[in-house]
Amino acid sequence: MTPLMTPTLPAANISITGIGSVSPYGPLAGLIPPELIAQSPLQPSAITAWTTAGLWRAFLVKPFRPVSVVPGLKTRRLDRLSAWALVASTLAIQDAGIDLSQVDRSRVAVVFATGFGCVELTASFYQSAFANGWSGTDPSTFPETLANSPASHVSLFHGLRGPNITVGSKSFAAESALIQAASLLRHRQADLAIVLAGDTLTQAVYEWYEAANLLSPACFNSEPLPEDCGFVPSEGVTALVLEPAGRQQARPYAYYRAGRWASGGQPVEIVRQMLGESASSLTICAGNGAPCATSPIIALAREIAGRAAVVVPPQAVAAGLADTGALLHLLLALSSRPGSGPALLLGASLGTSGDRGFAALLLELP
Amino acid sequence: MTDIRKTIVVTSVGVVSPYGIGLDCLQAGMLSGQCCLAPTNDLYPGFEGTTAQVQANISKLPLPAQGFNSRHSRTDRLAVLAAQDAVANFAGERPAFRESGVVMASTVAGLTEIDPGIAQDPAAWYRHGGLSRAATYPVAHVADAVGEHLGLRGPRCAVSVACASGAMAIALAANLLLDQAAPMILAGGSDAICPFTLSGFNSLQAMDPDPCRPFDRNRKGLNLGEGSAVLVLETLAGAAARHAKVLAVLRGWAMTNDAFHPTAPHQQGNGLADCMRRAMEMAEVGCDDIGYVNAHGTGTPLNDIAEANAYETAFRGRSRPIPVSSTKSYFGHCLGAAGALEAAITITAVCRGALFPTLRLTDPIESPGVDWLRGEVRRQPLPLAMSVSAGFGGSNTALIFGSVRS
Repeated sequence: MTPLMTPTLPAANISITGIGSVSPYGPLAGLIPPELIAQSPLQPSAITAWTTAGLWRAFLVKPFRPVSVVPGLKTRRLDRLSAWALVASTLAIQDAGIDLSQVDRSRVAVVFATGFGCVELTASFYQSAFANGWSGTDPSTFPETLANSPASHVSLFHGLRGPNITVGSKSFAAESALIQAASLLRHRQADLAIVLAGDTLTQAVYEWYEAANLLSPACFNSEPLPEDCGFVPSEGVTALVLEPAGRQQARPYAYYRAGRWASGGQPVEIVRQMLGESASSLTICAGNGAPCATSPIIALAREIAGRAAVVVPPQAVAAGLADTGALLHLLLALSSRPGSGPALLLGASLGTSGDRGFAALLLELP
Repeated sequence: MTDIRKTIVVTSVGVVSPYGIGLDCLQAGMLSGQCCLAPTNDLYPGFEGTTAQVQANISKLPLPAQGFNSRHSRTDRLAVLAAQDAVANFAGERPAFRESGVVMASTVAGLTEIDPGIAQDPAAWYRHGGLSRAATYPVAHVADAVGEHLGLRGPRCAVSVACASGAMAIALAANLLLDQAAPMILAGGSDAICPFTLSGFNSLQAMDPDPCRPFDRNRKGLNLGEGSAVLVLETLAGAAARHAKVLAVLRGWAMTNDAFHPTAPHQQGNGLADCMRRAMEMAEVGCDDIGYVNAHGTGTPLNDIAEANAYETAFRGRSRPIPVSSTKSYFGHCLGAAGALEAAITITAVCRGALFPTLRLTDPIESPGVDWLRGEVRRQPLPLAMSVSAGFGGSNTALIFGSVRS
């Protein structure tokens, strides 16, 4: 039997060198400017895309023309998720200072995390079936309903011919995408990876959250109680560029060291094992992958790293993305300039017994 | 020297197919040349008079043993049944098994449970019983159904890359094993037939009104099937430690993208050819070493010619034509499950030295570098075989399986 002989790249040599985002803060390259996050937290805005039974709110991406951000971009036939993925990936590549014409694009991977996929066009396809019957649906819509459409458009637009992967993972889709992208680099299955995570908010999704009693009173303009475990839904796509460390002109935001995610077991024990020596001086970016803005994640962070750890608390705008909020959490945490040294991006779903799990990404901030 | 910590092996395969539950059922059906594609006599209302009538359905699907309810879709049921079949012999090994990960592919997931009424008034649809059914919509639900049903605590992930999903789940699981993310991983795919996909492929005029004829000059399109396959993957070190029987070695894998068109494959099959070459590089084998390719072979005009061109490129320089067949001619295109089911068939080919022919292939595409398998099952020792998958969006995956002696 032949082993896999290709030497692996040490995880410590993987860096995050570019960030692009389309979020309720707008389309942005790089970190979120201090003036946008230093003042009072972002407030949810009123939903106007469909008729609601009162004032319903969410963290929404304000409409914008993708071509005004990325000249030449054609998005007329695309849903918002694909359009945002194209904008966010382009901004991340620009932010990384990468000229794709100088790169072997057959070695560039795209890894996309989504919870609901192309839910807008799925609803549109159902509407055409409702109106015209199953034999009268729109052929141009069907392929775009597939969850991997946004990642495919990113590959097509940038000419990226490496692995193109779309993943979902309850609560931890973004973490899973980042870990798997790092794995592609480590095992030299790609030389560069664009990691994206995001979702769009639609009427069907919002009303499902509402019917399942998952929403915060803040969604309906009521004051949330301290014990409130609901959340305010959000939308957007965040993109990161991952590459082996050492490229000249690269300005690493962070180095990727290790990642673990699991559906059970002993989070504290497993994360401490991963942290090793780093546990004593740690910044924890306490994301919350699950739709629960007040989960006991900070307690978990304290249990892992002790009282001395600096904890960047979860942000509602990212928690509202449920499965795909971790990259926005990371962006918000990096934008708050937490200092250098080891950092842990932590997500946890600590609900009912069938809903337990955690994800932990160990990073090094330069 | 072999590093047994980095050698990925398959120690069990679970299958639910139109032939029934179990790999033995699938093997027996295919060895006998049985075709599961048949007119469905309007099983799904609304498709009368369309090209979507010929399918490979699983008519009697048992309920998994326990804990199943309305929060599980038909796709979930298929996945759990296949996973249960895969781990049926693990009863005495629960402690190590508990930390296993799950990587499951699907394209349909819970769309089987949703109807067009949701688009008209979602809130009313949820009030009238749709709430739990809609919860099955995210593709992650399939991986969770398997993990929760078997009580697994490792990482769980779902893959949705159109028709390359099932194969890609296996490739990603292998990467996770190399990263020591879990001691073993259940990887595969599951998809059920539903009106959404029947309607989609019908609207694209991609379906054959008769049983499909992959790689035939007179091919007209694909037929849909349904099923699930789950492979138990682990390192050779892990398998040896628990004295597990190794069915096959996953010698190489690769993933690429055409970056050519949202739905059409590259005409010359460049992305797929590159994918096959990369898998051979990883396996450190030459194109003469591969004894059989289980093709994607959907039966659509565009796919099959692109795929034939890809074989000409990937196996250029080979001393004799590469044997190729499409087993979608037996039970249709199972979408997100196809790559996993075809991996199971490729493993069967390696284990039993049985190369399955393409059914109804009477006038093959001219492709001098390809030995189109047709007629009888070919019997020969098969040290190495490849399974390839491609999908909308240009994604490709190639897996190379070897016999234990390879």
